[in-house]
Amino acid sequence: MTLLDFARGPAIHWSLIILIAGTIWRLLGVLVLTRGADLSRPRDAFGNFKGYRTVFSRAWPSGEFTTATRYQTAMAYVFHIATLIVVIGIVPHIEFITGLTGLSWPGLPNAAGVAVGVIALVSLLALIMRRVSKPAIYCSTWGDYFAWVVIAAPLVTGLMAFAHLGPRYETMLAIHILSVALLFAWFPFGKLMHAFWFVFSRAQSGVAYAHKGVRI
Amino acid sequence: MSTVTAKAPVFPSFEQVCQGFAGQITQLREMAPKPTLSDSVRVRRAIDTLIAETNADEAVWLESCIRCGQCTNACHYFQATGDSKYAPMRKMNLYRKVYQREIGPFRWWYKLVTSEVKLKDLEDLQELVYDSCSECGRCAMVCPMGIDTASLVHHQRSALVAAELVPPELDALRMEQKHYGTVFGASADVLRKMIDTIREKSGVDIPLDRPQAEIMVLSSAVDLMGNGNGLLATARVMNHLGVDWTICSDGFESANFGLLSGDMSLWKKQVDPIVAAAQRIGAKTLVIAECGHAYPALRWNPMLKSGALPFEMMYMSEFMGRHAKAGRLRLSPLKGKVTFHDPCKTGRRGGAFDEPRAVLKAMGTDLVEMPANKEFNWCCGGGAGIFLLERATHLRDESFKIKMQQVNMSGADTVVVSCASCRLNFEAGRQKNHWDKRVESLVELVADHLIDEKKVGSVTPIQGAAA
Repeated sequence: MTLLDFARGPAIHWSLIILIAGTIWRLLGVLVLTRGADLSRPRDAFGNFKGYRTVFSRAWPSGEFTTATRYQTAMAYVFHIATLIVVIGIVPHIEFITGLTGLSWPGLPNAAGVAVGVIALVSLLALIMRRVSKPAIYCSTWGDYFAWVVIAAPLVTGLMAFAHLGPRYETMLAIHILSVALLFAWFPFGKLMHAFWFVFSRAQSGVAYAHKGVRI
Repeated sequence: MSTVTAKAPVFPSFEQVCQGFAGQITQLREMAPKPTLSDSVRVRRAIDTLIAETNADEAVWLESCIRCGQCTNACHYFQATGDSKYAPMRKMNLYRKVYQREIGPFRWWYKLVTSEVKLKDLEDLQELVYDSCSECGRCAMVCPMGIDTASLVHHQRSALVAAELVPPELDALRMEQKHYGTVFGASADVLRKMIDTIREKSGVDIPLDRPQAEIMVLSSAVDLMGNGNGLLATARVMNHLGVDWTICSDGFESANFGLLSGDMSLWKKQVDPIVAAAQRIGAKTLVIAECGHAYPALRWNPMLKSGALPFEMMYMSEFMGRHAKAGRLRLSPLKGKVTFHDPCKTGRRGGAFDEPRAVLKAMGTDLVEMPANKEFNWCCGGGAGIFLLERATHLRDESFKIKMQQVNMSGADTVVVSCASCRLNFEAGRQKNHWDKRVESLVELVADHLIDEKKVGSVTPIQGAAA
């Protein structure tokens, strides 16, 4: 079995199993806990439902905090959108997804894929530079840096494989796939889980404040 | 500014009250109880408290933080000092550790790779959850995950109560309220004497212990022990409205040092007699005095099933606001530019934004807003008991500068507050900084501007260069 066979075979399959099982385990482990009921009388009888708006409204900072959070919000959006485009938009990824699910769609031209990949990487660098340069604000843990490395690695190795940089193509591709396997396997255990938590966290606070007639 | 001519004041000015309190607070530190349990028992009790208080809400919030640092933009203590340890996200680190080791889905793993919580960790936590967090909730307004750090801080206060680690000033008052049912000695006898004094000196009647009344009104220790003007003003407003009201000597104290310290058994001990008294007299409305945290202690406490109670609970500003909106408060004009400071507990964490503003508008006020107002209002820095903590003086002083800047930017020459704690903090800050603004209580301002009432008694003394 070559390294590429290992990466494409057991590595990626097991990482997907860990991703799915771990995510379900962590979500259930939290969501099965009881919820403390708020017995106080709500300000408006049906006002609590308005709290669910926070799940969507918090996607952008309120005017009060626009200036203070501008850099980070902009970079975070660029990173998330560019990464999503790369993940589902370039031809080799679509072929991989087709192999797993049978689904298929047209891919981006190569040049566009590379451009978006570079944008994602640059925005990720912009975010980590800010984190490193302002330690008082971020209170970073090793988990923050590890998550960054785990996210940056597939971008870097993917671009290198595409540009035929570094080792021979098959080895580079194997390293790229292994880095993705690491990302999948790590996902349920670190802060990448915010991809799920944000919905619950925003909804809870939105409802708790809406109960008192406050829109957050 | 006031259109009413001042007669000899019945009670000392709030400036004097504020200075008097400073002396009393010094004594509190000496009265605080010393820890009695062993270190390991104290740690175990803190952990058990956190385990017991952790539901899915808390777990999700603890899981959600991505350390993006945006909460630091919202926190007055961080902004005022720039000190990393006051970053709101740090205030949940210890809670998260306990959660991960004891409750979380990977607890077996975290037990292996993290160290046990020690008493030293809890001692360090004290500054983070008492001195440097007023539970104002402003960080929840910016957090992209919407984490309500204030709630998590409150649970940690409860844990520190269990670990006998309440700061001395708060602990002394907690113990007084627990064992004697009073705050600063404000007993039912003191209430009776104060009511007599008010009747004798200003001719204002306060109906005490009527068997039946539509409206039950609460007072507070600040009113009874220092500034009788608050109770006097409340009585004048109630009498002006001609409502059927009373104060109950077995349930009159708004201040709840159970909620402030995190001692929820004391919280209940304080709340139960109030609820029982209101039910006994057949009250339809319970009016909470201008005492910010009394609002969440009663109106919003999740453990109090208020929907099933036969009466409605509202804050003094809400009560006056509803009457002002209905045109029942006849008030003389208030000149000058005025801004309103929303106390965290009634504003962002209480939702009573419109009513106090309706009262000010009923005075024809030129009401101007601070740049950050209503749900975005900056805390004055003295809430959640922090005004009492000597150790937090620097944090309070520095964060108050943000508040002064906000008021200055509004262009107002008077800032109106509706919370005794905010008011004490504003007054202390005004004196320290020789600030040229007036600080007024909403209920006292209303009482001084009532029309059709025989004008006797105190008028808020004019203070500062702006007056």
